[in-house]
Order: sequence, then C-alpha cells, then structure tokens
Amino acid sequence: MPNSLQISALDLRLSIMAGVLAVMALIFHVFTGNFLTPENLYNIAQQTAVVGIVAAAVALIIVARQIDLSVGSVMGVVGVLIAFLMYTHNWHWVPACLAGLAVALVIALYQGWLTAYLGVPSFVVTLGGLMSFRGAAFLVADGKTQPITDATFLLFGGGLDGSLGATWSWVLGAVLAALLLWNTVSRRRNAVAHGFPLRPVWFDLAVTGFFIVVLLAFVATMNAYVLADKGAGQGVPIPVLIWALVVMGMAFIVNRTRFGRYVYAIGGNPEAALLVGIPVKRVMLKLFLLLAVLVTIAAVVSVSRLNAGTNSLGTSMELYVIAAAVIGGVALSGGSGTVLGSVLGALIIQFLESGLLLMDVSIGWRMVIIGQVLIVAVVFDVLYRRATGERMT
Amino acid sequence: MSIPGSTPLIEMRGIHKAFGGVRAVEDVSVSVHTGEVVAVLGHNGAGKSTLMKMLAGAYPIDSGEVRMNGQAVKITNPADSQHLGIETIYQTLALADNLDAVANLFLGRELMTRWGTLDDYAMEKAARDVFHRLNPNFKNIRVPVRSLSGGQRQVVAISRALYFNAKALIMDEPCAALGPEETRMVHDLVRKLKAQGVGIFLISHDMPDVFGLSDRLSVMKNGKTVGTYRTADVNEDEVLGMIIAGKKVTRVPEAFAPA
Repeated sequence: MPNSLQISALDLRLSIMAGVLAVMALIFHVFTGNFLTPENLYNIAQQTAVVGIVAAAVALIIVARQIDLSVGSVMGVVGVLIAFLMYTHNWHWVPACLAGLAVALVIALYQGWLTAYLGVPSFVVTLGGLMSFRGAAFLVADGKTQPITDATFLLFGGGLDGSLGATWSWVLGAVLAALLLWNTVSRRRNAVAHGFPLRPVWFDLAVTGFFIVVLLAFVATMNAYVLADKGAGQGVPIPVLIWALVVMGMAFIVNRTRFGRYVYAIGGNPEAALLVGIPVKRVMLKLFLLLAVLVTIAAVVSVSRLNAGTNSLGTSMELYVIAAAVIGGVALSGGSGTVLGSVLGALIIQFLESGLLLMDVSIGWRMVIIGQVLIVAVVFDVLYRRATGERMT
Repeated sequence: MSIPGSTPLIEMRGIHKAFGGVRAVEDVSVSVHTGEVVAVLGHNGAGKSTLMKMLAGAYPIDSGEVRMNGQAVKITNPADSQHLGIETIYQTLALADNLDAVANLFLGRELMTRWGTLDDYAMEKAARDVFHRLNPNFKNIRVPVRSLSGGQRQVVAISRALYFNAKALIMDEPCAALGPEETRMVHDLVRKLKAQGVGIFLISHDMPDVFGLSDRLSVMKNGKTVGTYRTADVNEDEVLGMIIAGKKVTRVPEAFAPA
C-alpha cells in the first residue's frame, strides 16, 4: 500500500464493501433483469432508511462496547404514541412528535443510567427493554391500530408524494457535491498551512470525483423514476433525505467533536479513558440519549410509511440494525467502526432482501441466507483484522 | 533543590484507602519537593500503586489530606489532578489502542477550534514537536498506537507530561517494558524534568533505577510505610530488607525532607 496515498486499513475496507455492494447489484440484475431499475432502486433506498437511521447510532453504541436490543420496541412505543396522540386525541403532528421524543429520551435516561452509572450490562438492560417496551407499545392504544391522515406528516414516509421532485433533487445533489469539493479543498489548504505532506492531487480529485459521481448518479436514478399518472420524476425520497442528514450529522459528531472521540476512546480502552479524565459515565449516557433522538426520527418515518401506528411497529428491527452495523464493519469488541460502514451494511441487507424477493425466493430461505451472510461478514471481519494487524489471535 | 524543611510541592498525609474489607493503604504519608525524585518502593500489593492512583485522582481517598505548596487540595477525579499540574504515566500507559498517537496525547484535553470542533491540525503540529523532542525518529504518528513499538508507546505516554507542563509527575514502573536505549531516554528525561523543578514520584522495582535517579525513597509494606530515607544514606541490602521483611533501618535517621 503506497504510503504517500495515506490510505488507511479502514478506507480500504469501506472500498471493499462498496465493491461487494456493486457486485451484488450486478448479479441480482443478471438473475432478475429488473434489479437495477429506477423503480427498484427507489424502493430499496426508501426501505433502507429506517434501519439505516437507527444503525448509524447503534454503530456508535457498539463502538463504545455497549449494545441496545430495545431499539425496535422503543421505536414501536414511540411510533404508536405519536399516532395515538394524532388520531385519538387530535394533536397536531409537531407536539405529537415532541411527546414521542420526550418518551424516547426518558427511556434512554432510564436505560442509560442503569448501564452507565450503575454498571448493569446494557445487554441485560435492553433485553428487558425489548420485552417491556413492546408490551408498552400495546398498552398505549390498547393494541388498536392508529391510522394517520395528516398530509404533511405522511411526507416523511416517502411513498408517492414524499419526495423532493426532480428540480430540488438536482439542487440537493449540486449542494452536496459542492460541499464534498469544498471539504477536500479546505483539507488540502489546511495541510499546506501546517506544513503537512499532501496526498497527490490526482488521488484527491479521483476520490472526491468518485463520491460526486455516485451522488449525482443516485439523484439521476431517483429522477428517472417516473410514475405513470404524475409524468414527472420522483426525485430523492424524503426518508432518504432524512437518512442522509442523519448520517452527515453523525459523521460530524464522530470526526469533529470531543464527544465522538471519547466514544471511540472508551471503546478502545475504557480504563485508559477513565485515567485520562474522560467523563466516561456522562459520555455513555449522552450516547443513549443520542440514540433515542434517532430512534424517534426513525419512528416518525416508519409510522408515516405505514400510514398508521401499530403495536407491532419495529418488531425484530434490532436484529437488522445490529446486523447492518456488524456487516458494516463495526467490531463487537468495541473501538472500531464507521458511520459510513453502517450505511453500506444496511444497504447490503436490503439488497439481499430485495434481490432474493425479486428472484422469488421464499421468506424461509431469505432468512436462512441473510443470517449466513451476517456470519460471512463477521468471518471476513476477523480475517481482515488479523491481516491488518489489528487483532493478534 | 529546595531548602530542608521548606514546604513540599506535594504532601500526602495520613492517607487511608480500603477496598471492601481489605485495607490497601493505611495511614501513609509521603512528600515530594520541587526538583526532587522520590522513589516509592514495595512488593506487589504493598499499596504503592494505590497510593499514587489516589494522587492521580483515579481512586477516591477514604481519609487523609493532600497539600500542594502547603495548601490543602481536593482530588476527586483525574481531571482535578491534571488541573493541579499533576501528570501520571501509568504502567499500562493508559493509551486507547484504536486511536493514533496525536489523539492519545491530547485525550481528554483536546485542542478546539473557535467553533468548538476538534482542531486536528493544531494538535498534530503540537504533537510533532513534542514527539520530536523525545524521539526524532518517531514519524508514524497517524496510525493507531496498537501498531507502535513499546518505546514509541512510552513516548506517547510521556509526551502528555511534557506537553501539559507538569509541576509534579507520577511515574509507575516507567522502564519495566523497555529496552536499554529507551530506558536511557527515560532516565535522561527524569533528570531533565528534575532540573526544571518538577517533583517526581517514581514507582519502581528496579534497584539501579532507584539508586540512579532518586533523592529519597519511601518503602511500603502491607499498605503501611516502613520508612523514608535519603537514598544516599542507605544501601541496596537495607532497602531490600525493608521491602521484603519490613525491617526499618535504624543506622541513619529518617528523612522527611530532602537534604
């Protein structure tokens, strides 16, 4: 690996995963003939958003050597509560969502406090939460489905109307592309100002160019999805926009804030984190609160997608979320993993689901296959870490 | 070096610490003056590391008091200790293996930009300077520290004390895992810091370290102090007698302040 390119083992691994994703898409397309169509990709993007939003935060939880098994149930109780307040009590969607957020934060305070301050293993705390909050989701509306009709609220779920439209999608694409370019330029300028070695210009251009091409190709694909009775391109679905904002926010937290660095330090060596004066308990509690915010966002998107709040909302989502994080390269031993990895992990799972469905593979076989893919991903993870010297055994 | 009987830089008096029913430290008093090296000796489990961890803020003190320049100070966590200018180099080095050398140097005390974000460039620049002072050949400062050699990892841990201008330094077995060349680097550094007026507590098992570096030594056994002497007044056998048998030296007077 040429040193002047400053490619870390991490970048390499993300590249490999992106490659796996591309190969999967091609194989499914060859077998089904309609995998790489705007319609299918539009649906995949939209369907992945909920798991992707939660996985971005759960990835950090796992980095900090914790786990949260209760995310699906918490999303259920929060989602039903929001729908219940809107349908049965005629609340406006804004206060309803804020009430949902408040409940999610209280739950996070409770579970986070038990984990961080009392030292109860988060596995046990959230396993209890998995059962309790699923029950609570039933109790909120006595198990009755709460339909949603508010047109504004339903935009969050995507669907036929919940997308940006062609023009705004291009604007969004252009803004993000400019942001990527500016990021690279300012990094180079900073490196020069501090007298640090630079990566070759062609390399920086190629990497930035690659991301911009992927971004614009995505926008073009979403715009190419034209509904027969609408006559105009759909553009980027709102859930995907929300997911993208969440991922950018999380990436900022991880790379640019003290809190993000402390999460990784705690995951790398909890004892050292304490000894150098990091407020480990407070960081851990904040992490659970951050997850609660994202679970609430996911609940809103999810309820809106279903046009209703039901007590089964988010059932077994925790498995998909954790699988997405792990396939995305988050090590359960803590200290390593990326937000971008969680995006790729969530996409790989959804690609499999969607591709196998298009191939008419039954639900039983789909579960068998996805489960084994998870294991393949972890085997790869173990071998890769051994090869890059990250793990000794 | 300060005048005998002057106020110590750090004084720990009548310190007690128990874990459950086990009395780890019982009524122990030690002190260090500016520009002095005090060796803290004892068997494994004698309580020396526990004593020093209390000064570093890693363990709360059950009872007893800590004075700095004569003023009573309260240390309840590592941040308190750092604010007082006390730096600690742990035997385990306290490094996050998944982070690079720069992040580890500033861990817990990151430099921030005016927008409240991490200032990675300023940190890397400062880190390069301080690493270079300790080891000019140390260049791979942007890889996770798990891939560094033992000596390089030691450099990262020591650089914390250097960068944050320690007034007092606690070194827990600083040479235990080092080769001869790196051991010499640590010895040079101790002498340099001492000359700059830093007060140093040195926990060590190694007699050449103790006799080569320290001005005074305090021996602990079973959580209690056996005795405190000027290093020049005692010989190796007497020190070993104190460590192993807890036998106090009566041939020379104890020394609670440097000569």
